[in-house]
Amino acid sequence: MATPGHLTIRNVSKTYSLPGRPLVNVLSRVNLDVEPGAFVTIVGPSGCGKSTLLRLIIGLDYDYKGEIELNDKRIVGTALSRGIVFQDHRLLPWLTLEQNIGLSLENSGWTRAEKDLAVREHIALVGLSGFEKAYPHELSGGMAQRAAIARGLASRPEILLLDEPLGALDALTRIHLQDEIQRIWEVEGVTMILVTHDVEEAVFLSNKVVVMAAKPGRIVETLDIDLPFPRDRADPAFVALKRRILTAMGEDGGKTATRAA
Amino acid sequence: MSHTSDTIEAAAVEAATVDLPAHAEAPGRRGLQLPNLTGFILPFIILVLWQTAATYKWIDPVFLPAPLTVVTAFWKMLTKQKLAFDFLASINIVGQAFIYGSAAALLLGIAAGLSRKVEEFFGPTFDTIRHIPGIAWLPLIVLWLGIGAPAKILVIAKSVFFPVFLNTLQGIRNVEKNYIELAKVLTLTRWQLIRKVILPAAMPSIMVSLRYAAGLAWALVVVAEGLSGLEGLGFLIFRAQGLLLTDQLLVCMVIIGLVGFAIDRSMFLAQKRVLKWKQGYDG
Repeated sequence: MATPGHLTIRNVSKTYSLPGRPLVNVLSRVNLDVEPGAFVTIVGPSGCGKSTLLRLIIGLDYDYKGEIELNDKRIVGTALSRGIVFQDHRLLPWLTLEQNIGLSLENSGWTRAEKDLAVREHIALVGLSGFEKAYPHELSGGMAQRAAIARGLASRPEILLLDEPLGALDALTRIHLQDEIQRIWEVEGVTMILVTHDVEEAVFLSNKVVVMAAKPGRIVETLDIDLPFPRDRADPAFVALKRRILTAMGEDGGKTATRAA
Repeated sequence: MSHTSDTIEAAAVEAATVDLPAHAEAPGRRGLQLPNLTGFILPFIILVLWQTAATYKWIDPVFLPAPLTVVTAFWKMLTKQKLAFDFLASINIVGQAFIYGSAAALLLGIAAGLSRKVEEFFGPTFDTIRHIPGIAWLPLIVLWLGIGAPAKILVIAKSVFFPVFLNTLQGIRNVEKNYIELAKVLTLTRWQLIRKVILPAAMPSIMVSLRYAAGLAWALVVVAEGLSGLEGLGFLIFRAQGLLLTDQLLVCMVIIGLVGFAIDRSMFLAQKRVLKWKQGYDG
């Protein structure tokens, strides 16, 4: 089982400059503490910097001010201790499902047998046993996204980042996969950070919901969600939390934010 | 936990109802099917017209001998003359030219695709050489290497080289940035990135160019042999024209056409095999 990571983000700012245009504050003094094993969701309107924040955490972008630490160690570049699931499943079309997941273990330093076992276990974890030899084009959108989750978890990272992983799926598949992510998080015990537009998804899955606003990209509210799992989407407490988050997004993000939600 | 079993059921339902296409083994099965006969209709009609034209003497037999005469000529060339030898001479030239040309193109194409410096180094020179047709090179090369096979191999290899080189380069440059990013996230080394991501991603473009180049090489060998040398199908064609042996001329033309067809089909099958992961490939 993965050791859950403790993520600390301190005073992180990032600016972005396009020639001939004023400097954009993508992120302004963001502070966030993610407890080991927590499920934290970041919601906010487009352009609030939530995906940028994930790119900083995964290590694809180093150009920022402030500190990001995983287990008290400053993150440097990408590492197998930090996994990510993108909005597009990003499975390589020329590799089978098991090869795609195995690709994340190329540099794990594990033996062949350990790798095979991890691949098999994670395919089973996401409910895709029997599809090991299938190519990505033979999988539905939902199955491909499950495979991407398996790939993100196979190297047993300390933290898994989910960048709008269900954004491109239809409503029904999305609900199935929300259940799945909730189950996988409980089984694996790994720290997860989800970025989404979907407020219901945020309340359904998280211990903590972070609301961000744009211009400059910043955190405007942090809510703890104490409802027991599994959660009932129709529960009045659930609905009330949803409304609170929507309000937080609306007040600070303007009309576009409410619509985006 | 009833919840967990619910979700697993949901997963099973999803897995069962989603469109895992039944054609997972389709490529193999397709290969074993009876050949589709639609493509034989037109050749049959041409043959019938040809025979009719010969029977009713619409055209002087010197210019268009009857199909049977051509078959007889084929048999004569095969048994009394050395058609097989000439055929193999042509195949040998094309085979070697294709292998050398495409191997060099893949090597340099990959190098140039991976490094802008390499591309900049070769770019201007290659773009100039590329625009001098192979046939224009032949006289000079023949002066250097004589009228034997090596000159033709070199000239055809040159014509094979450029389409494969350019497509390899472009195929590599067109690799989705997202995949490169994924490779970074998975901490792949440069070599792993090239082997697992860049080359497979460039493969469709490379395979198309190999197929094109193989056909081109076969077409060019006839020209090259016609222009210089004393053997090969191209030589036979021009000799037959000079001697007014129209039946032998037609024999050579039919062989060239059929071999070209076979080359293209086998390249297509190779392409299909290499790219079996590709969606919608069956068209």
